[in-house]
Amino acid sequence: MINYGLNTQEPQVMHIDLNSAFASAEQQAWPSLRGRPMGVTNRLSKECCVIAASYEAKALGIKVGVRRSEAVALCPDFIMLETDPSKYTWMYQNLLRIMKSYSPNFKMKSIDEGVIDFHGVHRTRSMIDIGYEIKQRMKDEVGQYMRVNVGIGPNRFLAKMAAGWHKPDGLDLLDHHNLIEFYKGIELEDITGIADAFSARLRAVGVTTPLEFLGANHDFLRKRVFKSINGLYWHDRLRGYEMDAQPTQLGMVGRQWVLRQASNDDAWLRSCLHFLAETVGMKLRYRSAEARGICVWMSFNVGGSWSDKRMLRATIYTNQDIWLQVSKLFDQRPKHMLIRTMGLYLYQLTPSTRSQLSMFDDVAKADYLTQAVDEINDFYGSFTVFSADTLTGTQNVKQKIPFGGTEYFDLLLKRA
Amino acid sequence: MDPTIKIDERVDVVTIFKRGGDIGSLCVPCRMRWRGREIDLTELALRHPTVQGKRMIHVFHVSDGSNGYRLEFDAEGLTWTLVAMMAEKP
Repeated sequence: MINYGLNTQEPQVMHIDLNSAFASAEQQAWPSLRGRPMGVTNRLSKECCVIAASYEAKALGIKVGVRRSEAVALCPDFIMLETDPSKYTWMYQNLLRIMKSYSPNFKMKSIDEGVIDFHGVHRTRSMIDIGYEIKQRMKDEVGQYMRVNVGIGPNRFLAKMAAGWHKPDGLDLLDHHNLIEFYKGIELEDITGIADAFSARLRAVGVTTPLEFLGANHDFLRKRVFKSINGLYWHDRLRGYEMDAQPTQLGMVGRQWVLRQASNDDAWLRSCLHFLAETVGMKLRYRSAEARGICVWMSFNVGGSWSDKRMLRATIYTNQDIWLQVSKLFDQRPKHMLIRTMGLYLYQLTPSTRSQLSMFDDVAKADYLTQAVDEINDFYGSFTVFSADTLTGTQNVKQKIPFGGTEYFDLLLKRA
Repeated sequence: MDPTIKIDERVDVVTIFKRGGDIGSLCVPCRMRWRGREIDLTELALRHPTVQGKRMIHVFHVSDGSNGYRLEFDAEGLTWTLVAMMAEKP
């Protein structure tokens, strides 16, 4: 028997994952959709993509990213709805409320999944009992059609792996007793965080199964496979030691938009981009940050893309400053090209110092104006007051459901 | 493909406000009059709040056993609107 040096502590991390979250929410809301293959998309169009599919659709091979035409070819009765952000945000808030009631140490990983860390929490029941209770509470407090996958493990990685073990509606615990058997039953690519590129690297050095990955020593992983400290992290993560509890720093804020029809109409594009810039400004201030770097990018109808970046001497914070820089970059684009997707992001972020008094009167005035507009929009709803130039943008750019980060749901709620 | 039928019409609604219970069942629309027809609402499938500016809107997804309806209650204007419906077999 090989000693892999597994973490033998009691598993105290729980991963909660809402099954087919957006599709389940629609099936909960519309009883006639239950048991049917259906999906949701951000904007219904001829070639729109499925962004969430029901389990009935997944069983027919209709997965996230499948185009509408492909889905209908697989299932002529396939139903597609447009997303309803307020519905999903409410679900998110309920999941958050339930998770919060068990431990102060919790973190939402995205709109439909989160982690509860029970270390240091006094418990009178087993983790498995708590897991079943959370599943039942989602049904009682949100809806009977809401199914939740629960995974329990000694670290975040194994808790997530456990949550994906038996979908839908599963509850599994992974620890040193069953970890080896679990690894024997999965493929290398089934491991969370090991996508095609890492899998290819592992296979290139003769590591073809999760068990061989587990058996590789940390020097080998660090020097031969990952060629960085990540090798060491993976060595410990696979054994159940916590490597993912550190908070991540905010790197950038941005927004992108796919045009319904490719265009090179300068005035129209400018208004839409100005609108995007104002929403990015809202995000920046919501995170109490200022930015020095700015980038505008776009992709074209015929293929290919363009981007331009600028690093500024002073930080920017107000909508006016952001738009001034964005419009300068936008003017540099190849103007004859039809744009399909465009976006911008701000980077080199630093904590905002705007609460400090400025030496310059005009800077202070611009800050006061921005603050006043934000307060009005905060109370009366986003885009109650906005630049006249963005009017076309407000009518064309639709709010989408964010994947990944959950930092801006309060902002999204105000726009719903 | 999208089986929801947009309606957007004001309707009369009989609602039960319960004394206790969880927030999902405190306020339950049970009958609706729409275009002269009276419809008994037998299932409250989902209720969630949303805002339009400072207006609080409560969204109720209800069913009469065959069709689904999206009703919205404007908490400021005290109005009920039938926003959309979906037939039993979309």
